Amino acid sequence: MLSRVANNLIWLDRYMERGSGILSLLKVNYYANQDSPELFSWTPVIKNFTAFDNEYYTEDALECIDFMVFNTNNSNSILNIVTKARENARSVQEHISRELWLCVNNYYLYLTDKNLRKRLKEEDPVQFLEDLRKHHLIYNGTTDITQERGTSYYFMNVGKFLERVNLIADFTSLKLQEIGKTSDSLEKSFYWKNLLLSIGGYQFYLKTHKSTFNQDHVITMVFQDKLFPRSVYYCVNKLSRHITRLIETNELEKKNLEFLIGKLESSIKYTTIENINEQGLNNFIHSIKEDISNISTNINAVYNSNN
Amino acid sequence: MKDNNLFSNYEKLASTWDEMYNDNAEFRSQYDGFIKYLENTSPEKLSKKEDLAKQLFMSQGVTFTVYNDNEGIEKIFPFDIVPRVITAAEWQKIEAGIKQRLKALNLFIKDIYNEQFIIKDGIIPGELIYSCPNFLREMKGVKVPYDVYVHISGVDLIRNNDGEFYVLEDNLRTPSGVSYMLENREISKRLFPGILPKNNVRSVSDYPNLLYKKLKELSNLSKPNIVLLTPGIYNSAYYEHTTLARLMGIELVEGSDLVVKNHFVYMKTTNGLKQVDIIYRRVDDDYLDPLEFNEKSVLGVAGIMAAYRKGNVNIVNAPGTGIADDKAIYIYVPDMIKYYLDEEPLLKNIETYQLGRPDELEYVTKNIKDMVIKKTDGSGGYGMLMGHEATDEEIKDYLNTVSKKPENFIAQPILRLSTAPCYIDGKLSPRCIDLRPFALSGRDGIDICPGGLTRVALKKGSLVVNSSQGGGSKDTWILE
Repeated sequence: MLSRVANNLIWLDRYMERGSGILSLLKVNYYANQDSPELFSWTPVIKNFTAFDNEYYTEDALECIDFMVFNTNNSNSILNIVTKARENARSVQEHISRELWLCVNNYYLYLTDKNLRKRLKEEDPVQFLEDLRKHHLIYNGTTDITQERGTSYYFMNVGKFLERVNLIADFTSLKLQEIGKTSDSLEKSFYWKNLLLSIGGYQFYLKTHKSTFNQDHVITMVFQDKLFPRSVYYCVNKLSRHITRLIETNELEKKNLEFLIGKLESSIKYTTIENINEQGLNNFIHSIKEDISNISTNINAVYNSNN
Repeated sequence: MKDNNLFSNYEKLASTWDEMYNDNAEFRSQYDGFIKYLENTSPEKLSKKEDLAKQLFMSQGVTFTVYNDNEGIEKIFPFDIVPRVITAAEWQKIEAGIKQRLKALNLFIKDIYNEQFIIKDGIIPGELIYSCPNFLREMKGVKVPYDVYVHISGVDLIRNNDGEFYVLEDNLRTPSGVSYMLENREISKRLFPGILPKNNVRSVSDYPNLLYKKLKELSNLSKPNIVLLTPGIYNSAYYEHTTLARLMGIELVEGSDLVVKNHFVYMKTTNGLKQVDIIYRRVDDDYLDPLEFNEKSVLGVAGIMAAYRKGNVNIVNAPGTGIADDKAIYIYVPDMIKYYLDEEPLLKNIETYQLGRPDELEYVTKNIKDMVIKKTDGSGGYGMLMGHEATDEEIKDYLNTVSKKPENFIAQPILRLSTAPCYIDGKLSPRCIDLRPFALSGRDGIDICPGGLTRVALKKGSLVVNSSQGGGSKDTWILE
């Protein structure tokens, strides 16, 4: 596969995954913010998901959503993310299924429809966000059903799971900052619940642990659960599987990559909650992010190697 | 006609051939089928179809991006829903005429880059060839596979008021528009259920397979690595490049994806360099190789021409074909047909005056109101003077420019482009059209896809069909 194409495919899925994550975060924060604006303000959301030099902040829910969805100066606005996803998809049309390209293109047209922005102002903002998220669900379903399992699919999945691990880590860090500011255990439990909601794991948590909030249970589920598709372990496991396929087909070099992904996988799998608490969740997250960044750099090196 | 005023207000242009009405204001028979459909369809319904067509172009991504203040706006190439219909007999003539012309033009290119008999025999003056910016000295003596230089061409035809087709220009470099031929048909299938089969319209969908076959034949390998080289996403024909690559199942590459090593061309892949055998390039000669042509070009590949000359890679169309579709050379195409084929031209040339000749310059100046003047190396409808529309001042300025280098200009009488019915503001109105059929030449001869791109000047009274200047397109039906 052309190196540029591999790069485009990875980024196509990274952007789509990022968009989906940011949309869920916005929706969950919107609900929480309407309950208790002092606990769930918008500033940390904006701060964590915009470029470092962003100067725009607002505590008005609709203005914030508008900024996070439509603002073209915000590099992580959904509009910018989807535009970039579409550009990546557009230049690899002969590698992705026709349906997948049409899906991304239609999402882009939906977002750029001049009447959409008005809908956010005048209609139900939750439905507005849900309608956007639906495009991501369709994207994932379309990929699953129409894309042959092969190099393109593996690279796309590498992008998707790299991004998803990053997002879970970032969402958790975001909540930890807030948790650190309070000593009230009820408030703390609100934040943990909010984290679960943001990554779509609340229902699964209830089914497993019922309605009792235990910090260790949440951390174990978010980081180590084997069945929950948005746990860090699950994603790293998938990442490892797709990287292995690419190594087997000689699309990626074995060298550091196999070692790095194997090390990350086992360090999450064989760590106990006591161990995590001992080193501090923040440090644990930090080391995961560092490993992910190393893996990403190593993959980049592959498509830059023969330049 | 039913109580349907679609056809009222159809103001035929004076002394102009209309594709739907004959001179007695009767419908031409090839339009019967579609007219029957129109008569039974309300304007509201047609307007809905028009909207549907726009949506389909957008949702299928048949768009080009116009960048403005860092913001990309998706645009579609305007499409008129009423098809242009061509009879089997007309098509037969067009097909034979284009084949004849391409045969001669290809022989001409081979001759010019080799023995140059046509110059030695005094048919075409040598200085005309050497002064032409599209003549590539780099191609002299280069052997090309099966002597095919022009693999893909899009000859532009117009129909004059005598009902005959004339060649407006031979596009022999990197003609575009074929994806619109394909896409317009796909849209018609969805707009007019059942109408295409009822009218026995010939299918165009085989074009990508035919193109692939022609490309593949150029190599002796059983599985040659064929790629399509695009200038990239900012090119207005990028949609076409992605479509053709997808429909042929070949890799779409940019200049930076390719590298030349030891006179072989490779693409950079995740498992190393992979040799490229055939390049269908949509990058102009000037940008193809920064070592030999425009050194600032980042769209091409350094060293590709050397690899080509060694026969290690095939470039399609061959570099240097622009010598044969230059507007100054155009005048000589009928002579070429006689010289190389000993045949009378089947398709006529438009009478053309070479302003480098004082007597012709004088004639043109005298009749300037009836003339269109063009630069010999211009394209896209730019740098033209339309005598009947220009002010005296504009004419004066233009002639002033001409006088500096008259040999770079030609003039043609203003043509009466034929008109075809277009659906505009709820009614049918005549608009000027041309026709670009796509011909593929290869080892086993020339094939022409039964269809083409009909471009239409949507502005009332306009003769300029170029998409850059308010032109649109129509589906083109060739009847069985």
